[in-house]
Order: sequence, then C-alpha cells, then structure tokens
Amino acid sequence: MRQPDGSSRATRNRVEVHEGPNGPVLALFGPFTVETAASVRRQILMKLSARVVTVLEVDVSGIEGTDMSGLAVLHELGRGRFTPGVLPTLTGLRRQLQMLMRAFPSEETLGLGRPPAHRISLPDEVGQATLAIAHDLGEQVAFLGAVLQALVAGLRRPRTLRWREIGIVFEKAGVGALPIVSLISFLTGIIIAFESAQPLARFGAQIFVANLIGIMMIREFGPIFTAIILAGRSGSAFAAEIGTMKVNEELNALETMGLDPVRFLVVQRVLAGTALMPVLTAYSMFMGVFGGVAVMQMIGFPPARIWTQLSGAVDLSDLLVGICKSIVFGSVVSALGCLRGIQTKSGPTAVGDSTTRAVVAGIFMIIVIDALFAVVAYELKV
Amino acid sequence: MSSEPAVISVRDVTIGYARTVIQHSLSFDVRRGEVFIILGTSGSGKSSLLKSMIGLYPPISGEILFDGENIVTAMGKDRLRLLRKFGVMYQSGALFGAMTVLENVRLPLDEFTDLDAENKDLVALAKLNQVGLVSAAWKMPSELSGGMQKRAAIARAMALDPGILFLDEPSAGLDPITSAGLDALIRALSRDIGITFVVVTHELASIYAIGDRCVMLDPATKTMIAQGPPADLRDGSDNPLVRQFFRREAASAEGR
Repeated sequence: MRQPDGSSRATRNRVEVHEGPNGPVLALFGPFTVETAASVRRQILMKLSARVVTVLEVDVSGIEGTDMSGLAVLHELGRGRFTPGVLPTLTGLRRQLQMLMRAFPSEETLGLGRPPAHRISLPDEVGQATLAIAHDLGEQVAFLGAVLQALVAGLRRPRTLRWREIGIVFEKAGVGALPIVSLISFLTGIIIAFESAQPLARFGAQIFVANLIGIMMIREFGPIFTAIILAGRSGSAFAAEIGTMKVNEELNALETMGLDPVRFLVVQRVLAGTALMPVLTAYSMFMGVFGGVAVMQMIGFPPARIWTQLSGAVDLSDLLVGICKSIVFGSVVSALGCLRGIQTKSGPTAVGDSTTRAVVAGIFMIIVIDALFAVVAYELKV
Repeated sequence: MSSEPAVISVRDVTIGYARTVIQHSLSFDVRRGEVFIILGTSGSGKSSLLKSMIGLYPPISGEILFDGENIVTAMGKDRLRLLRKFGVMYQSGALFGAMTVLENVRLPLDEFTDLDAENKDLVALAKLNQVGLVSAAWKMPSELSGGMQKRAAIARAMALDPGILFLDEPSAGLDPITSAGLDALIRALSRDIGITFVVVTHELASIYAIGDRCVMLDPATKTMIAQGPPADLRDGSDNPLVRQFFRREAASAEGR
C-alpha cells in the first residue's frame, strides 16, 4: 500500500475542487506520503482559502499509496481544521486506511497525558534554591564526618584500605597531571616575571622580581593552580566514576553486600588526593620559580645574584604555608568530587551535572580556604 | 508468502571484530511483509549480525542488499537513502533521555521532513497511539518502565513510515504479559501496514507467535545451521543444537 520508494513524486500530486451533487468536492490524486504530505497540505489550504464552504466532501479515492504523514493531513481535514465550522465528510477511503486513521488519538485521550502548564513563581524558586543550599551544606558536613570516620577506621586497620586502588588513583591524578602542571606553572612564573619587571624597573628595583616570584609561586599560585588542576582533572573524574556507579546501581550493590561506599570508594580517593597534592605542589612551585628565574636571567641578572635574592625573600615558613594549603586543598577537592558522585540523581544528564558541581564546588572551596589561610597567616605573622 | 520478492538479501557475509570471526558464510533473504527472526544462543552473534545489516558495523566480507543496493559499500547520499528504508529499535530502547517521549518520536520528522509542526505532532501522537503510549507522550524516557521504553522506541523507529523495522531483542527483560503485548503489536503492524520485520530474539514464545521464517546462528561452528519457518525447525531439524533450542533442553556436556 505504501510506495516502497517514495522519492520525489510531488509533481504527480493534484488537488482539485469541483461541484458535486451535494456541494463542493475536494479531490486528491497521487501518492500522499511523508515526502509529499507537506506540499499537498499547502495545495489544500490554497484551494480552500479561495472559496467559502458551508459543506465539503473530501474524495480520497484518487490517492495512490499513503502513510501516517499523509493520513495526518486527512485527519486534520476531517476534523475541520482547514474549514472552520464545517466538518467535511471523507469518501473513498479504503477500509485498511480507515483502520489506520483510528490511530490518531482523540482530544480526550490527549487531555489525559498532556501536562498542565508549568508556572514559575519567583518566591517559590528562591525558597526552593535556599532550601537546596541548606540541605547541601548539611550533607557536606555529614559526609565530612563519614569520611573522617572511615579514614580513622581504615588507618587503624591499614590492610583494609585497598592500597592498589590508592596507587592507581595516585598515578592517574598525580603522575598524569605532570605535563599540564609543568606547563601552567612554568608559564605563570614567566608571566609574573615579565609583568612585574617593567614597573619595578622604573624604581630601579628589578631584582625584587625574584621576591615576587618566590612569594607568589610558593605561597599562592603553586598550591592554588595545582588544586584547580586537581579539581578539573580528578575531582570531576571522581564525580563521574562514582556517579556512573550510582546510576548503574553499583552503589546499591555495595551497600547490600554490607560494604560502605564511603569506606570502599571514597577513602582511597581522598587519601590519594591528599597525598599527591604536596608532591605535585612542590613540583609546581619549582617549575614556577624556574620560569621566573629564566626570565630574570634573560633580563641580565647573574644566577648567583638571583639565588641570593630568592633565598633571602623566601623562608621555610612560606614553604610550609604553601604545602599546608596544598594538603587541605587536596583533601577537600577529592572529597567534594566523591560527594558529588554519591549525590548523583537519575537521568541522562545526572552524571554530567555531578561533574560540573564537583568542579564548581572544588574551585569555590579552594578560594574560600585560601582566603582563610591568608587571614590566619596574617594574624600569626607567618 | 514465498512469492514475495526479497527486500533484504544477505550474501555470503562474514562478521567479526579485528581478527576474530564471529559468524561466516551467512546467506539468506528477507521477503517483503514477513516477520523474519534471527535466533541463536547467547553470544552467537545475533546482535552483531543485526548491527551489520543496519550498516553500523561493516562485515568483514560479503554483501547486504536492500532492494538490490549494497549498504556495505553505499556512501553519502546513497547510504542516507538506504538508511531511510528502515527503522531500528535497539535492545535498551536508546531513547534520547534529554527529550520527552513525544520529542523522541518527532525527532526524525523534524530532521527529515518539511511537514508543519501540527502535522508532525499529529503523526508522532498517532505512532504513540499505535503502540498504546499516548498518555506517556509528555513524560521523560526515564519515567517509563522497560516495556514502555521499548514500545516508545518502536514508535520512534516507525516515525518516517519505513517499510522495514529491525528489532533487537524486543522481549528481553519484559514480563510475559508485556512481552505478549509487544508480539501482538508486531503482528498487527505486519498485517495492517505491511511492514517487514527483522527481529533478533531467543524467546521461544515470541518466535512461535510472530515468526514467519527464521535463521539460526551457532556459536560453535560460527555459521548458520538452520533456516525456515519455526515450526519446521522444531519438528524437522536433525541438528542437535536446533532441537535443544526448540525443546528448551540444557546443553549436554559433550555437545558444547
């Protein structure tokens, strides 16, 4: 009944209106399929707009082959959608097609499924969002407790910690990050040196570029940039891994086996993240200072001079502040990644949402913690 | 039925990945209007054969002809034209999760036709009505049960009124009632609209209920071991694996 090869035969379609015994008759000829339905519909509209009808008969006996798209136009015709106030009668419809026509749902059936229009109210949305933030903060605190508990339990019995997995995470999140950490730190060092060299030259204080590089890379940029890279590379990965496991019901499987997902999945990642951050940060500090020193040498300072200036500017407490930050960053970023993974809801975008939330929350917390460190370090004068 | 011409001809096809051959020397015809079943035990390569037939994975060798045109070598516009001849229901339904059921069914109409918006909605709703899912049209796929997702996937596969529908394990994971409902739907679509079906399944009940003819793949010899109407295979085959399959017997120790 349907043309097997319904390629463009629109030219063979005809729509005619002639006067029959009971008033005007709209007659359709030719194939009436998904390829031709739109053009036939336009022709029908054109023919009907040319005249005012009070009754209409639609003769479809001239149709050669049709499908649902063609029948949909007939359905519209029969419902009087093109002839306001007039319900045309369809004639010449083969029995098989009449049965197919019944597939078009009635308005009543449609009414059952159609969702009510969604109304957005501002107070409602604000309230929902506030509650969600409060709820999330609560969950973060509870999660922190659960992780600490599992961590202590794990450290008491180190054999239960699944060290192999810690090693794998350490390698993926740590060793794998070396290239990007190298590049970003090295370039940051170069940028700081270049940007500060000009203004300082005006005061004849270009040698203090070394102080700037040392303090900024070791106290601030080393830890922060490494942490942001960790959030982007590994916090997101943790969220996606655990999120996918949640979607696949693997977390439920763990739980019913009596295995705590936090102990089984989170502790390893948090431990690895916490352990690799100081190492990666120290490397980043070195690369940054190296970049700055390279620029200073290019400007014309002898290496010995740069070294004396650098070692005078940076002392052990700066290094300790930087490393302490990195440890805190590492644990917070990896824990947040895992938390977002565990919070993953169902649905196709859920894992994507979780990774986004992991990275955003990670970067947000990095900056907040850094600000806290700045205040505390100022008060303690370190 | 036998007078009907072949819409799909599989000619001496070998399928596999890299250097592993999954099935070789496959040759059979699917005739217009019939429900053709590819059956076999788990891991025999049924789904791989289906994926080759719909042009997803090219076979290692051989031809797969749709009305005489080879989908394996077709490129560009020719390939697109061949793809329009059939719709596919994937094993998991593969509905796009970010769209409502109605949008899923309407997507092919949106992309490949110049129908009016109202008309497209009407066609999509009619397709959903045919599979009994109008009331779920505005729901997201994740809100549907497995059986409903499969029916919605059939509606989407039918959106452009293709002459051929490929179904990958339509009854897998469904309860007997839903599964029987799906079988009835397949029979009705085949009878009323004349759609040709190629169905991958290993559900005996389904095979008897809907199958006109079938081909059986054997993972041990890596080729097809039987072809014909299901009742003939059940009663007339002397191949032990075919007999076991149709009589639901466990594999004997030396047989496998």
